Amino acid sequence: MAELLLDPNIRLWVFLPIVIITFLVGIVRHYVSIILSSQKKIELLQVQDSQVMIRARLLRENGKYLPRQSFAMRRHWFNNEETGYFKVQKRAATSQNPMTDPGMMTDMLKGNVTNVLPMIVIGGWINWMFSGFLTTKVPFPLTLRFKPMLQRGVELAYLDASWVSSASWYFLNVFGLRTIYALVLGENNAADQSKIMQEQMSGAAMAMPPDPKAAFKAEWEALEITEHKWALATIETDLLASFVEKEKTH
Amino acid sequence: MADNYSELSFNEAKDLLRQWRENNERKSDEVLRVWSVIFEHGVKKLGNEKHLVLEQVFYAALDCHYYTVASYCSLMLQEEFPGSFRVARHVAALHEAQENYEEALNTLNNIIRLDETNAAARKRVVAILKAQGQIQAAIKELVDYLKKFMSDVEAWQELSELYLQVQEYARAAFCAEELLLHQPHNHLAHQRLADIRYTMGGVENMELAKLYYCKALKLNPENMRALLGLFLTTNNLLTHYKSSGNSGKRKEAWRLCQWAQAATARQTRARPEPNAAPLANAMLQLAITD
Repeated sequence: MAELLLDPNIRLWVFLPIVIITFLVGIVRHYVSIILSSQKKIELLQVQDSQVMIRARLLRENGKYLPRQSFAMRRHWFNNEETGYFKVQKRAATSQNPMTDPGMMTDMLKGNVTNVLPMIVIGGWINWMFSGFLTTKVPFPLTLRFKPMLQRGVELAYLDASWVSSASWYFLNVFGLRTIYALVLGENNAADQSKIMQEQMSGAAMAMPPDPKAAFKAEWEALEITEHKWALATIETDLLASFVEKEKTH
Repeated sequence: MADNYSELSFNEAKDLLRQWRENNERKSDEVLRVWSVIFEHGVKKLGNEKHLVLEQVFYAALDCHYYTVASYCSLMLQEEFPGSFRVARHVAALHEAQENYEEALNTLNNIIRLDETNAAARKRVVAILKAQGQIQAAIKELVDYLKKFMSDVEAWQELSELYLQVQEYARAAFCAEELLLHQPHNHLAHQRLADIRYTMGGVENMELAKLYYCKALKLNPENMRALLGLFLTTNNLLTHYKSSGNSGKRKEAWRLCQWAQAATARQTRARPEPNAAPLANAMLQLAITD
């Protein structure tokens, strides 16, 4: 089978432009997403819910360090049938449909605008502009299975699978340039730091349970079956014993 | 080392500030001295770190009462981020440092009104009330805060201390217990609760104090304060059991008491510190001859 020779003009006018275009589009997309990104607003109620959950969990885990009375008092506060926190607090179950939440909608839209739209537009344009070119050849033999992946737009049954068409070259660039972006735009450089400056630190434990009602119920159950086991019951003898042992070994 | 900050080059100064920032070292005086180096070269040259350095210098200047430097930093940041709550908190801190508490409270309340979840601003309000000596108001504000941010350990600790100031020991103990729930392996948390229980007095509290002192000692055998506390509580219990005639418990307390005394003596010998020797003597003086 005769070796194919590519016109050097293909290198200058197809191969390199595709690399440069995808790279520049990636950079532009990065900055556009920075402009479009919105500060996530956190509801006070969500913060409160998540912190209550943490406290209840800690009571379950570390309640053994408290005297029985203190433990019971706290559990009563959480779980009492009439006045307990988990019983009194009524939270509306969050709607399962994100479409009803306008904030979620705009977020989705922004994600689409910055990610999917350029992909479709630029990809379509490149497909139309540079269609039908072979751009390069990978320096190793490949099996036929790779043909649809590497030779999109060039359907030649007898072409060696290691040739890469222009459309496939574009996709290879889209996915392969990620590390280059990290190199150019930086991962955790000061640009991120000054972004933190703009927003206020909201402290830890901001992640909220998706459905506070169900989470409260689960926590209520877990707390209800927790038994108080006083961890300090034998601490005196433990303390004395551990030091007596140490004395002996010395 | 102490006085050659002025000989640093610009980059060295920048690196030094970054190092302190990352290690959370306060070093306010030093920061200001390094700042003068940077200021000579121009703030613009800091590039991306400019705002972080400005903030660092701002707090350092407040520590050292250099209000001109502080207001300069604050103004620079305000120009850059006009709507930021973080910068608004700087303004409040500047007012607070100059004891314009009214202004500071106004600014903080504005922040809270606009952003309900701003925990730092709420805590600052409590701090201002405490600085003004309005302990009751501070307690009220802090309780309000804790109703919303229940797993804030530092806030529980602060509330415990505030309650101690107004001698509400039972409530202080509650807060200390909350602290213990969050940090069950911190010997100081155990010791704090034991201290409060000991102060409250009564046999039941003494028993609890004894147990918590034991736990603190188990976690850190070198905790001198806990040793002294254990000694005092067991002594106290001994007198009680002697009068009530509970010989089993009395024997136990006696053993613990003896052990605490021995441990103190051992540690004093191991580490001859100038402060440690009088402690052992004081304990010997307090001891009841049985």
